[in-house]
Amino acid sequence: MIENPSQVRPSAPLALKVAGASFSYGQKPALADIDFEVHAGEAVALIGPNGSGKSTLLKGILGLIQRVGGTVEVLGSYPAPVGSIGYVPQADEIDQQFPVTLEQVVMMGRYRSLGWLRLPGKRDRQAVAHALEAVGLAHRAKTRFGELSGGQQQRGLLARAVASGPRLLLLDEPFNGLDQQNRDALVGTVNRLKAEGVAVVVSTHDLQLAREVCEQVLLLNGTQVAFGPRNSVLVLENVQRTFREVGVEIDEHTVVVPGHTGH
Amino acid sequence: MGYFEKALLAAAVIGALSGLVGAVVVLRRRTFFAQALTHATFPGAVAATIVGVSIPLGAALASILIVGIMTLIGRVKRQGSQVASGILLTAGFALGVLLQALNPSLPVQVDSYLVGSILTVTTGDLALAVGVLGVALAVIVLLGKEILFSTFDPSGFRAAGFREWPIELLTLALITATVVTAMPAVGAILAIALIAAPAAAARLVMRTTAQILVAAPLLGAAAGLIGVLLSRAIDVAAGPAIALTAAAFFLLALGGRRLLRARLRLRS
Repeated sequence: MIENPSQVRPSAPLALKVAGASFSYGQKPALADIDFEVHAGEAVALIGPNGSGKSTLLKGILGLIQRVGGTVEVLGSYPAPVGSIGYVPQADEIDQQFPVTLEQVVMMGRYRSLGWLRLPGKRDRQAVAHALEAVGLAHRAKTRFGELSGGQQQRGLLARAVASGPRLLLLDEPFNGLDQQNRDALVGTVNRLKAEGVAVVVSTHDLQLAREVCEQVLLLNGTQVAFGPRNSVLVLENVQRTFREVGVEIDEHTVVVPGHTGH
Repeated sequence: MGYFEKALLAAAVIGALSGLVGAVVVLRRRTFFAQALTHATFPGAVAATIVGVSIPLGAALASILIVGIMTLIGRVKRQGSQVASGILLTAGFALGVLLQALNPSLPVQVDSYLVGSILTVTTGDLALAVGVLGVALAVIVLLGKEILFSTFDPSGFRAAGFREWPIELLTLALITATVVTAMPAVGAILAIALIAAPAAAARLVMRTTAQILVAAPLLGAAAGLIGVLLSRAIDVAAGPAIALTAAAFFLLALGGRRLLRARLRLRS
């Protein structure tokens, strides 16, 4: 297992800046007062119990739900520059019966930069092949998406984001229900993207993942509990405040949150 | 061209159009919406007869009105649209019957609006069908990738920076145009069979969207042709013959798929 150096790189350009942001679903406030930033090549883990606002924050950054206060800037601008964000939704949100191949799903990552009315060309097909290679699924390109395992579907959705050439990658619970092999493949791809300068925000229940991929941690519980370097944020007091309802144990190496540590 | 040849041509063109747009309807899970729309065209056609304007025009105006009301009620999405479709399906049909009852001296048989009358299609009806088929083909070739993406993964589509409403509006317009065009051939009630059945059959036996988009119009055209030929051979009404042929294709596809699966299971 590769431990990532916990260094912060203030010299790297700012990829995402969220300042005093609040989001709501219609009239109902969902998440308030979020403040954090991510630099190029850096990763932030969003950690919190179910319903704490992790998915809401990702959708808020994407502009899929209403922002009622504060600012969200991607690469210094709002709305985000076209094609700058790659989004990896949870695979179980996808229609399993839809007649579409893995290759076609990954090609969807190219559509935005292609623009309306134009058909994919050689460069797009190369980008798709490269993205499938990157997640280790080149041999399944022609398989129907719904026939892939849950873990392979998740990697396929990551490949779709990779094919779009994002500067900021948002992953929503990518490790739920994954076996070790799929998990390692996903971690490897995300770490490679980081090395290429992609900023990453990943929501997870999996504190081990935070350790393998993320330098920074944002603890959420309907509001922001703490944000900062992983080791200074993941301390017992903060984690207890985040997971109020459930018991928490912590020692030097592990935080055990019942019901949230398993896959 | 004799009336029978014209009927055969119209049945093939309208069948192909219904199959093609039906594939989009089935993939986007809008079958119930399309059905409500077919019933809404009925009062439009009756009203057009009363006022004395073109029937497709009346049907189209009624459809646009109905889509507007559905948008208001259900915002044409998921749960809400099912309720809106259900209400407007029956309301549209009831309104048509009411208009018909209030005007007993109408010059044409209103029955033909319900089950169609392909042997009396005009050259104008045929030209409309060819035109709409051309537009539908162009839309699906040029915007197929956006339609595919937004249908497969709507939130991923929006997350990629696309707006959903142009695609939604475009598919609604295609469905409306198809329903209006299919009405002279198979009528308000039977149109949904020609729209849904060939596409659903293709969906059952084909693996990719591209295959479905080719197979569904072919099956639709075949249903139209076979239906018209059957209606002459055994002397039954053409509309129901077309609808039943389309339904038979669906049942055959269902049976074929079951057999194929059973055989695969035996082999493994």
